[in-house]
Amino acid sequence: MNKKVKIVILSLLPVLALGFLAFRAFENSAAYYYTISEAKALEGQEQKLRIKGQLVEDSVDYDSSIPLLEFALTDQDCQIEVVYQGVLPDNFHHADEVIVEGKFNSQGQFMVSKLMLQCPSKYEGEE
Amino acid sequence: MHYLGLISLYIAFGSALLAVLAGARAQARTRLSRRANLLSSLAVALSTLVLVFAFLSNDFRLAYVARNSARSLPVLYKISALWAGQSGSLLLWLLVISLFSLAVQRTRRFRDGGFDLRINTVINMVRVLFIILLLFVTSPFELLADPPSNGSGLNPMLQSVGMVVHPPLLFMGFSGFLVPFAIVVSRLWARNSSDSWLQEVRPWALFAWLFLTAGIVSGGQWAYNELGWGGYWAWDPVENASLFPWLTGTALLHTLLLDKGHAGRKWWSYILIALTFALTIFGTFLTRSGVLDSVHAFSGGVLGSIFFVVLAAIVLFSAGLAWRRRSCLAEDPTDQGLSANLLGTAIKAGNVLYLLLFAAVLLGTMFPLLSRNLAGREIVLDETFFNQVTVPIFLVLFFLMGLAPVLAAGEVRRALLPLGLAVLVSLYVLFAVGGGVTASVTFGIAVFGAATHLGALFGLSKRRPKLGSTLVHVGVLLMLVGVTGSSIYTDDVFVTVEPGEEIQFGGYTVGYQRLQTRYGMDRYTVGTTLRLSRSGREVGTLTSEKTFWENRTQPSTQVGVFSTFKEDLYLNLAGWEGQTARLHLQRFALVGWIWFGSWVVYLGAVLALLEHVLGRKLGKQVKAWQ
Repeated sequence: MNKKVKIVILSLLPVLALGFLAFRAFENSAAYYYTISEAKALEGQEQKLRIKGQLVEDSVDYDSSIPLLEFALTDQDCQIEVVYQGVLPDNFHHADEVIVEGKFNSQGQFMVSKLMLQCPSKYEGEE
Repeated sequence: MHYLGLISLYIAFGSALLAVLAGARAQARTRLSRRANLLSSLAVALSTLVLVFAFLSNDFRLAYVARNSARSLPVLYKISALWAGQSGSLLLWLLVISLFSLAVQRTRRFRDGGFDLRINTVINMVRVLFIILLLFVTSPFELLADPPSNGSGLNPMLQSVGMVVHPPLLFMGFSGFLVPFAIVVSRLWARNSSDSWLQEVRPWALFAWLFLTAGIVSGGQWAYNELGWGGYWAWDPVENASLFPWLTGTALLHTLLLDKGHAGRKWWSYILIALTFALTIFGTFLTRSGVLDSVHAFSGGVLGSIFFVVLAAIVLFSAGLAWRRRSCLAEDPTDQGLSANLLGTAIKAGNVLYLLLFAAVLLGTMFPLLSRNLAGREIVLDETFFNQVTVPIFLVLFFLMGLAPVLAAGEVRRALLPLGLAVLVSLYVLFAVGGGVTASVTFGIAVFGAATHLGALFGLSKRRPKLGSTLVHVGVLLMLVGVTGSSIYTDDVFVTVEPGEEIQFGGYTVGYQRLQTRYGMDRYTVGTTLRLSRSGREVGTLTSEKTFWENRTQPSTQVGVFSTFKEDLYLNLAGWEGQTARLHLQRFALVGWIWFGSWVVYLGAVLALLEHVLGRKLGKQVKAWQ
């Protein structure tokens, strides 16, 4: 075989492998960040969503005995009610933005399976 | 007092500039360059000391001190608060770079004039960059117009030994990779076409790698013990940023071992050195620019743009230099085909795999940004993506690693017995233990690698392998077992318990007595200690606490960890009502192997460094004898 052809094949192989792996994994995990308004439009659907919104300050209600955390997220225009079955994270009240992953239930509440926080905690960056 | 810190920074700035110029001239001024470098380093050290002193003496006139410290903070954390924020971290990084520049000057080769002075120029250019940032963009010596009587304190999450050691280790690793870059640039700049720099950069790269590894592992260990979700790695952009230079740096260490005569030896080394250095800067850009969202908080702003410009400059410069000096990077034609062995081919294949891993993690990390610009929609990829892409590549890489000793000895047949053993273990895991195909294949590969390495070490092969690198490989395999075990064999349960109640979990009997409350000056702590017993015998306790702070809305949780050879029990006190407690209990298999394996890796890396240094000394003596 020609040496150049060999080099081309040898360098294409890893690229193709990566492409294949990435594509397969992409189908399983890609997730949009929906804004609150966009998410609200999808309320009736049985679809897993990832939503980013601002925490409504006085909305947090935490029952540590279950534990159940309820709060509201907003994007200025709209607001949704969010329910999370799990422990209140330490830095929750510090969070600016909250990212939630889950589905709407029939009452229009957003049931969270995964809760992520964006905290302006001091340990990186300045205010 | 803070003027002293500022003035020293200015002095450091001036002398670093002087060192840049003195080294860059054709008629290099050795003494000037050296003294300027020394003066700059001392000034940086003084400036750091001033800031440490400000922390220790509770000087809350300094905004940085007021933001990150408080009177009641223990002394250890007053010192570590130095790197709790942005400007202090940069100052610490600058200090570490300065230490490295002094270490380079102390080497015999430098004193003999064997190193080109341009090495000082390159190092001091980086130093100038950091000083500019500290002086004009994010100063740690900024004063408050209206100083508070007490600081706002250090984030409780950072008040742990893990966060005392993690940042300095990481900065040691990051700055360490500047030295190989400076060496190779100075060599090429001087049109030196010998391959001596491949040997010269190796101890520095090894040293930096050791610290970078320790930095990454200590960060994971901190997250595991402190953050309370039971994980140690989440493919967060900030974590990935530290992984990038680690991947290319690991590839570099292997490439430097290629024998004379391997095609592309110098090119691979040069590219990996430049890439690793650029990635240490890229990491800072990623974490400081706010281009990506992360659970670690980011700051936007001018700092990110500066790092981006610098990064672009480094990439363009490295590429340009390589092109202008491509004749220096070509292999000596007389060496060609000298010893093209299988090990070399495997190392180069490994390089391709490391670069693939880098590309995969980079793609995943930057995807939100890419999709925002290309599709107008932010698409975030979660751990599933990273795990599914990287695990297969990692497994091939670990298999290659297992082959290393037999390839090095040129005895491929010696791989058969370990391979048989690996297949047996895989089948056993698949059918008797469970956990699926991934677990079975991974444990098989781990056993294969352990068998080939230990076999070679205990004299089953003609060529006795080096102890250091063998230990590093074995340590990595132990970590592989730990990571696999703790991600696949897990268990968790939420329970509500009354005082005196006992529950069964993971083969343990867990007994709850009561909640205890302690009061401190600015806090109170609620906690509980569970008794653990196994088949009627008490084996240990688990303590988890929640601390509420007077001037913080955010409580801090201490998780309880009970660690054995086989598994960790992990307790999180989730809540309570009266004396009724709500507990989150988790079980992770084999976590301890990760931390134990990391110590084996460190030991191996230290031995490899010693072997390198002593080996060269012994070699010289032997030569002198002959």
